[in-house]
Amino acid sequence: MPYASIVVPAFNAAETLAETLVSLSAQTFRDLEIVVVDDGSTDATSRVAEQQARTDGRIRVVRQHNRGLAGARNSGIAAATGEIVGFCDADDRWLPEKLDTHVRHLERSPQVGISYSGSAMIDARGHRMGHAQRPRLHDVTTALVFKRNPIGNGSAPVFRREALASIAWRPHFETRRDWVFDETFRQSEDIECWLRFCLSTDWIVEGVPGLLTEYRVNAGGLSARTEAQLAAWERVVDKLRPRDPAFFARHEAAARAYQLRYLARRAISSGDGDTACELIDRAMAESRTPLHEEPFRTLSTIAAARLSSRFGDGPMRLATAVLSAVRQ
Amino acid sequence: MTDRPIVLHLVDDTTAGGVTRVLDFIRTNPDMAAIARHEVKVVARNRSIPALSADMIVSHLSISWRSLPVLIALRARHAGLPLVHVEHSYTEAFTALNVPFKVRFFTLLRNAYALFDRVVAVSEEQGAWMRRRGLVSREALQVIRSAVDLGRFRALPAPAGPALRIGAIGRLDRQKGFDVLIEAFRDLTSPEISLHFHGTGSEEQALRALAKGDPRIHFHGHSAVPEEALASVDVVAMPSRWEAFGLVALEARAAGRRLVASDLDGLKDSAGIEAQYVTGHGVQDWRLALQAALDAGTAAPARALGAEQEFADRWNHLVQLCLDRSEPLTRMACGRA
Repeated sequence: MPYASIVVPAFNAAETLAETLVSLSAQTFRDLEIVVVDDGSTDATSRVAEQQARTDGRIRVVRQHNRGLAGARNSGIAAATGEIVGFCDADDRWLPEKLDTHVRHLERSPQVGISYSGSAMIDARGHRMGHAQRPRLHDVTTALVFKRNPIGNGSAPVFRREALASIAWRPHFETRRDWVFDETFRQSEDIECWLRFCLSTDWIVEGVPGLLTEYRVNAGGLSARTEAQLAAWERVVDKLRPRDPAFFARHEAAARAYQLRYLARRAISSGDGDTACELIDRAMAESRTPLHEEPFRTLSTIAAARLSSRFGDGPMRLATAVLSAVRQ
Repeated sequence: MTDRPIVLHLVDDTTAGGVTRVLDFIRTNPDMAAIARHEVKVVARNRSIPALSADMIVSHLSISWRSLPVLIALRARHAGLPLVHVEHSYTEAFTALNVPFKVRFFTLLRNAYALFDRVVAVSEEQGAWMRRRGLVSREALQVIRSAVDLGRFRALPAPAGPALRIGAIGRLDRQKGFDVLIEAFRDLTSPEISLHFHGTGSEEQALRALAKGDPRIHFHGHSAVPEEALASVDVVAMPSRWEAFGLVALEARAAGRRLVASDLDGLKDSAGIEAQYVTGHGVQDWRLALQAALDAGTAAPARALGAEQEFADRWNHLVQLCLDRSEPLTRMACGRA
């Protein structure tokens, strides 16, 4: 049995799946299997997966009727046999050393249940955009996961199988296999899973240095999805609050402010200054914690939202340039 | 009888809770008295403990960074005596919900436990957690599931007729998850059913506010006689957020009451295989589980037979292990740092 499994949920991903699988086949850690879950695709996803499987015998394809991203990941987990299980969405890529880095991290630190890395953003054509998620790597508290989601997107973390098993459950209407991700969510399924993991287990969550995931950002329709995204996030909070109402009483407003700030930044990126202003105002009305904890980032978001509302997307390019200059 | 070894149990928590009752049982258990004289000494929390005269010392003390120097001094003053620690508090779910910096906390526990020759987990689940996190070496770890005298619970007649009364027994505290229970219960529409709280605590006002307007929910205060609280209900609900063992679950089983319990920590052990387990604290999940338990009626489950005997046997085994002079104490096996 392979030591590591990589689960690749794929829905109508014919255009990008090959690229994803090539990046996984090229992992320098070789003792792995790749489980592609074709989640009821209506395009050539299945054929692309089969083609790749012919070039790399470690690729397996599982097919199912469409159950959504969470449902595809759950089926992949059920089919996976590795001691450690990673995820890579069918439009993202892993850098060649990613799996090896996580394998060594998990070997070295037996208390770590989730090992994650930062991500570089890529555009529709697969080019790096210069944006990155550079999360904090150590001293990851549940509050930090709630507010800043250092674990990040669904292609960033690698789990110890035992840790995944500790949050698996079987809803009363499910007859086939366990759930790890909550399939009733069509958005925010990542943060729901990460936060539930932190609220119910004491596995350590830790990152490794480097931008080892390339995460694809799809432009277009961002503002339209803002409210839906916010609603999904609120549902996560409503769902998990009973696990520890005291924790939520302490951190919920700040986490919501960070979430609104995140959506404001996305609105700025898509050139929608008015929405950005509204979102960042809501964020500040909710909590001033982002101002205290991350003053520069918060103030720059406020300024960028105002400027882009007045002058269009020119100021945003300027702000990006300033930000990257500050980082270097 | 004077030649029996003296086993001195140290405790710093004397509130009317599980620890006190388990210690009463240790003190008065005739099977255990046949092997050793078990005495209980109350000490002030985080205060230095003087040299004690005993053949074996058992700590039921709470471990913290502040108590660590006390424990180190205790070890130093009794270098030649077998020292045992019983962990009544910490579990995986406790750590998940109460400890922001877990690595540091595990370091504390490893260092504290390493001062003892043996460490006792009060449930199999807690013991598995200690091994999983490398807190105690396999050789040093003993599992002794908590118990009290269950005779008076077993003497209760099984509830008869349809199951209508749900009991919630214990401190009204964030740990017990009774807020979820009230919300789930309020979603059950039958006017005939009722929910009864037996206990007091810091959350009482908040829970009363949650229950406001529902005449089916009753608060009875602390019940000095635990079996009386159980006698007055058909089903017992334990939505605890963490629980090292969960004595109420064991008592409910002995009383022939059905259980609905959180699927975590020591409850996996104490609530037994017949309990209805709920994963997480979703109100909807708890409502469904309560409904299922009420629908299942009042057929009495097996009454936790043998729990006290197992407890006494395991303690006697531990005392013999520690006091068997022919075998050197396995202090090295404790992973002393």
